[in-house]
Amino acid sequence: MTGTLATAAATSAVLPVGVLQLSLAAGLVLVAGLVSLLLRLGLEWRLAIAALRTVVQLLLIGYILRYVFVLENVWLLAGVVTVMVLVAGHAAVQRTEARFAGMLSVSLIALVASSLLTTWMVTRLVIGVEPWYQPQYMIPLLGMILGNSLTGISLCLDQLLGALNDRRHEIEMELALGATRWEAARRPLRDAVRRGMIPTINAMSVVGIVSLPGMMTGQILAGVDPLLAVKYQIVVMFMIAAATALGCIFVALLVYSRLFNARHQLLAARITKR
Amino acid sequence: MLRIHELDVAAGKPAIVLIRGLSVTVAARQVVLVTGPSGCGKTTLLRAVAGLVDPVAGQVDLDGRDGDAMGWHHFRRQVMLVGQRPVLLEGTVADNLTTPFAYRSVDRRYPAKEASATLATLGLEPGHLEQEARTLSEGQQQRVCLLRALLLRPRVLLLDEPTSALDDATTGRLDALLRQWVETNGAGVIMVRHDRERARRIADREVDLQPHLAGQREGVLA
Repeated sequence: MTGTLATAAATSAVLPVGVLQLSLAAGLVLVAGLVSLLLRLGLEWRLAIAALRTVVQLLLIGYILRYVFVLENVWLLAGVVTVMVLVAGHAAVQRTEARFAGMLSVSLIALVASSLLTTWMVTRLVIGVEPWYQPQYMIPLLGMILGNSLTGISLCLDQLLGALNDRRHEIEMELALGATRWEAARRPLRDAVRRGMIPTINAMSVVGIVSLPGMMTGQILAGVDPLLAVKYQIVVMFMIAAATALGCIFVALLVYSRLFNARHQLLAARITKR
Repeated sequence: MLRIHELDVAAGKPAIVLIRGLSVTVAARQVVLVTGPSGCGKTTLLRAVAGLVDPVAGQVDLDGRDGDAMGWHHFRRQVMLVGQRPVLLEGTVADNLTTPFAYRSVDRRYPAKEASATLATLGLEPGHLEQEARTLSEGQQQRVCLLRALLLRPRVLLLDEPTSALDDATTGRLDALLRQWVETNGAGVIMVRHDRERARRIADREVDLQPHLAGQREGVLA
């Protein structure tokens, strides 16, 4: 079944989107800008810059992807993947209230491990692409995974560092009573992984009822049979859930290993508030 | 039983040595009072003895074995610190008292009868057991924290200002209970107290930290 999924998606009819269509869409943004002006929301400039960034970034990635897809050069692919992961890893650590030295590397390791593992599982085992890193499949899938997994990791990190910092007295008290570092850290770790998973679980619960996912909508607009688009979307949702769960668990365990030592001490001094 | 040998203790960032070359031994049924000017590092000293922070130098061992040899969770379960600021987890007083009995290092069952009896001795009511622990007054919380440690029966109890939030009468009760607990269990106590005169009544020995203070303050000024 998986092989036909891919070919059918590739051969469906697509209505072309030209300059006129893109300009009309830009008109919609103009309306939003006008509303902002009228209501004095002060968003016009930010909106304009955001719209411009959307166009430039997407066009740029479109050209790069076309180039990468055609060349099928492993090193070029590795370069693109590296940039994607670095940007995602950096973004994941930007919003946490507390931080510690080495946080970026922890988030990068968790992102790379969780997203590459999941991408490999999907391209290789579910869709059945050969080789598994064929750019046309790998890059869009990895992009989706990174986008979601970085949100999960970011929330998980924020919750965990906040808890380790704010509840350091509780944790030390448990250690003082003879708890192992794992016994003392268990609760904050569990809460953090749960926190990181909430957006994904929410999205999975309402998908198709409240929201139609962007990828599926895009495919349907591009002329793909809705049922086929749905099958892809199910794969994508499961993949995102797996990647986010793995990413959160990895990042939580890595933080645990950095902030507790073998003498069962909490190294709370390593955590600083922004 | 507990041997503190040539201990140097530091605190702060960058670390400043507060106490140098402290050696103390605590035998079974012994209560040792530690005194020194405020801010001299008494709290840090107790934390270092419990291994919650590393000392700069020196050793702490229980019957010849240190935390590395015993495993630090086993060591702390036997050499137990009760901090000055009461720290209780969310949940009832009973939840707080029973939680540590689930730790791997604790081999006892929760002694419910002993808990109720000791609770009364400390001037708390049986009804307090079902009360949300964090809604208690600071003095009450402090006693719950002490009770929690007593029920676990460590070999050595490290008490950091255990009476700081207690009135005179309650302090008297706590002292009597502590003395009795030490005798019954053959345990030892190291305690830091602001009410020195009072504490001397139940202490077997006093260790003055004054000769061990590192005198870093003059160093910093110069």
